[in-house]
Amino acid sequence: MSRTGPLSTTLNRRQVLRAAAAAGAASFLPTIIPARALGRDGATAPSERITMAGIGIGSRGQFDLGWMLPEKDVQFVAICDARKARREAVKRIIDQHNGNSDCQMYPEMREFLATRTDIDAVLLATGDRWHALGAILAMRSGKDVYSEKPSCMTVAEGRAVVETARRYGRIYQTGVQRLSEPHHVIAIELARQGLLGEIKTVRCHIAPWDAAEMSHAWLPAEPQPSKEVCDWDAWLGPCPWRPYNSSYVRGQWRNYYDFHTSCIGEWGAHTFAQGQAGIDASYTSGSEYHYVKNDSGDGMHVKFANGITMVLERDREKKIWHGSCGMKFEGTEGWAAAADSYSEPELSSASLLPEGKKLLAEYMERTGRPMSHVRNFFDCVKSRQQTVANPDVMHHSMSTVHAANICMWLKRDVKFDPVNEKFVNDPEADRFLVRAQREPWIY
Amino acid sequence: MSRMIVSCVALLILAAPALALAQEQPLAQVTFAKGDEAKLIGIVKSAAAPQKDRADACRLLAVVGGKDAVAPLAALLADEKLSHMARYGLEPNPDPSVNVALRDALGKVKGLHLAGVIGSLGVRKDPQAVEPLAKLLTGQECVVKQAAARALGKIGTVDAAKSIEGALPGVDDCCKLAFCEGLLRATEGLATAGHKDAAIAICDKLSAASVPPQVRLGASKKAKALRQQPGKGL
Repeated sequence: MSRTGPLSTTLNRRQVLRAAAAAGAASFLPTIIPARALGRDGATAPSERITMAGIGIGSRGQFDLGWMLPEKDVQFVAICDARKARREAVKRIIDQHNGNSDCQMYPEMREFLATRTDIDAVLLATGDRWHALGAILAMRSGKDVYSEKPSCMTVAEGRAVVETARRYGRIYQTGVQRLSEPHHVIAIELARQGLLGEIKTVRCHIAPWDAAEMSHAWLPAEPQPSKEVCDWDAWLGPCPWRPYNSSYVRGQWRNYYDFHTSCIGEWGAHTFAQGQAGIDASYTSGSEYHYVKNDSGDGMHVKFANGITMVLERDREKKIWHGSCGMKFEGTEGWAAAADSYSEPELSSASLLPEGKKLLAEYMERTGRPMSHVRNFFDCVKSRQQTVANPDVMHHSMSTVHAANICMWLKRDVKFDPVNEKFVNDPEADRFLVRAQREPWIY
Repeated sequence: MSRMIVSCVALLILAAPALALAQEQPLAQVTFAKGDEAKLIGIVKSAAAPQKDRADACRLLAVVGGKDAVAPLAALLADEKLSHMARYGLEPNPDPSVNVALRDALGKVKGLHLAGVIGSLGVRKDPQAVEPLAKLLTGQECVVKQAAARALGKIGTVDAAKSIEGALPGVDDCCKLAFCEGLLRATEGLATAGHKDAAIAICDKLSAASVPPQVRLGASKKAKALRQQPGKGL
């Protein structure tokens, strides 16, 4: 199916549908289909506006909100958060943008999803522990989802997100926004299209802080606030219970096993997706993981079935990159690297840059994808085409993250079968594929 | 006085495994405890051990627990504070006695804990759980009925699908989406097992039923995709 570009301002959905009817094509499926016309009661008139809500919007979520609010065909109308202070803060932002006080606040996700059938899509930025279940509940309720990363805690969660999106025909984007940034896409396309020769290695940046093994300790118990102020049970969601401590909800949840995907997942959620895109491995995961005797996974070699090796790089000393979340493709005829704060990719030869820009233009023409991750999401909500960071891309790159973590936790090499999504003859490693979810937060 | 001394000694004996492990390394700092299954089981069984230690022991048994860990963990499925961690320890344990223990618990736990046990049976795709789970589709509180429908869908056998279909017409509005989810899950299992026609039949009914629009959409897309697949199915 061909991909469409952003909607033209001179051709709206109603005109397309009328044209289709006039052509007498009873089985015609327009390439631009209103989300409501597909997923809602046919008597409801389609709207050009995507009605959105936020779920768990903290500092990162507000960053995303800053990108989304200015989009003219998007309107935020509600915020759902277990914390009262956050609900009120985000309501103020949305109301100020909308010029009214109509943004509704919801303390509880299930009631919010069930009652707001008018909402087309949600921005989900709760923190790692809730991203998969939140996306699943939202999609099951008929909403499309833009989910922050890391978007799942286990291989099983990632698979459940994929299945739910397919089951309900939902559009989903994981927030690995560098797949929509020009300097990264140039590097990816140079690698994919063979201009670097045969790719042998892709280096992927992992976070230079925290460790692969995370803490199971409990912070000292503090008096639990009222449910209205902070619904601690909902904040924990599917995670094991622990006593309340305000540090968790104020953002200090990283480096706890129950809540985080380690230094590997923190940046690997981005860089593995970027790296796998450049080696044509977006729809698979690494097969062999070689244990390294350090606390972070720095230097781990992950082999893919196509023979290419991904190397995890903390890059504290080597200075491969001068920005965060980098990747570097190394081929037989050249290399290409990109990271944050780069205005252009770094290349083994200056002559690769004009070629790379040409490939970028061709990529955008071929796929219809703009160099804006949120705009790609909104376009796909309207066109019902897959996003650049769709559930399968998320799941397969995160499965590489999870397998790398498990390798470090077991302190030995592991082999993963990306087709059957299990470890190879390794029942011990298989035990990490799933974690029992705490009732009632079970998908 | 002597009775008090005896009680103190008894408490110390019961807490000994936790104290011993704590002196070696606090359990919270142990990420992987190969070879310590017996010690961990002792902590799980110890009512005097702190909740945190017992929870950590359950967590570690998720990785190292075998057949011997099943009964002690299952004994906690009705425990108000440790039911979830008991399932945390049981769910990834490949020993088949886990399924027996979870099925046994269906008649012993209630409310949210029952919903949790049901969920774990669904994750483990226990086909022998279909009959008892089918009975929980009616006459229960919503959270239990919803869990049963989803778990049956995950198990995805012909009988599992039939049980959800049979209960769907009379279901409360609060459970309708969960039952639809169960049926859609079941169609995936049926199609994989070669029961394509049965899966299509369910999808066709759902796509025309009085159910949420995203369910109708999903069902009709699924039916179309299955019809386009080669092979007649069973």
